[in-house]
Amino acid sequence: MDGHDRDHRLLAGFLAGDLDPAAARRWDEHLLACEQCWRTVREDRSGRQAAQVLRQPAPPGLADRVAFAVEIAAAGRSAGRPWRRPGARSRRLVRPGNRLGWQRIAGAGVLVAGLAVTLAVLLFPGGPQTRSVPAAVAAVARYAQAVPSPAHPHPDGQAAPVEVGRPVTVTAGGQQIVMRTWRLAGVQAVVAVSGQPFRMPPGATRDSGGGMAWSARLGRVSLYCLNGRTSELVAAPVPIAELEALAARLPLA
Amino acid sequence: MSGDHRAFLDATLPYLDVVYQVARHAAGDGQEPEDLVQETYLRAYAAFGSYRGENTRAWLATICMNVARSEARRRRRRPWEVPARSLLDALPVARADDGEGVPDVADVVIAGLDAQAVSRCLALLPKPQRVCIVLMDVAGYTARETAQVLGCPRGTVLARVHRGRRRLARLLAEAGVSHGRP
Repeated sequence: MDGHDRDHRLLAGFLAGDLDPAAARRWDEHLLACEQCWRTVREDRSGRQAAQVLRQPAPPGLADRVAFAVEIAAAGRSAGRPWRRPGARSRRLVRPGNRLGWQRIAGAGVLVAGLAVTLAVLLFPGGPQTRSVPAAVAAVARYAQAVPSPAHPHPDGQAAPVEVGRPVTVTAGGQQIVMRTWRLAGVQAVVAVSGQPFRMPPGATRDSGGGMAWSARLGRVSLYCLNGRTSELVAAPVPIAELEALAARLPLA
Repeated sequence: MSGDHRAFLDATLPYLDVVYQVARHAAGDGQEPEDLVQETYLRAYAAFGSYRGENTRAWLATICMNVARSEARRRRRRPWEVPARSLLDALPVARADDGEGVPDVADVVIAGLDAQAVSRCLALLPKPQRVCIVLMDVAGYTARETAQVLGCPRGTVLARVHRGRRRLARLLAEAGVSHGRP
């Protein structure tokens, strides 16, 4: 076959399995006889195998981080829907002849809503409280809950904290937060740092020593917050009484 | 909270490894691949409502490269530089804290040196060839998907990747690194 350089495009098609059986067979036969084309094929294979050395799996935790970021974005999206003045739409739809019908529907709606609120309070006493947790605090708590427990905890009381993974930056409720995960004394704690203060969630306890510290429990995670020039929020799956001592051993901002 | 983000994650998270390969090589200096992956997914989520679902992994690669380009423009740096990563970062092995799955030290060092050499040589290729090699040989995209991501004919992709592989092999041979078996 003449004009090897011109045929490289054809050879690329042959290597990709693009050629019809007859053309592929002609190339097979040609390669047996042509050292130059055979060298070209070897170089192609060698280059491909070399490039494959660069493959590496995504780091552990990246899927959780991405899922978390999307979840935060989804929460922000649903919270960011344009606020509509109550009644604005219904007033446009109501015509004089329909007024009685709308009043009946409204009355039934009030009754159903009242029943739902009563049931929610009876069945989920913490429900309304949880809903009013500041977005930034809720985001840190949710992230801390997603952090997997160490496979082999080493509850060595003297060990220094070890950072796990990379810092994660998220924005929740308009507040930018950098979260780092630390392993210490057999638990993994999340230290969240923000330039804005973390607001106290309902049910939180202000630190008895005064100042701007508070602690709270959300789900299986305890939270301890120090609000100062920067604000640090520590979250870990430990009893709330143990968290302050744990936080004292973690590198805060 | 609505379930659309759950549907989005179900549709896209299976391709995280693939997107990560693209991000590692598309990330410019000072840009972390993990940040690029996160931003890719956030942009994809924002556009998920209008996505028609032709080829999800090609769609994600396109977004990842666009994000990398935007970020590179913002930083006034060149994208598609192969980042100079630490030896351990360049290893194609899983690391475990408890000692399980940790390969022999000699294997680790050799694999790391090879990966570094390949990275250096890959960085010397013309950008179109480098991009095609990263998408096809590193990330595992097909020629058709690569053509879709780059917006060029499939034949062009095949020709670029072929020339790039040969050049890469020659550069590695000059550097004294050999790959593949005859």
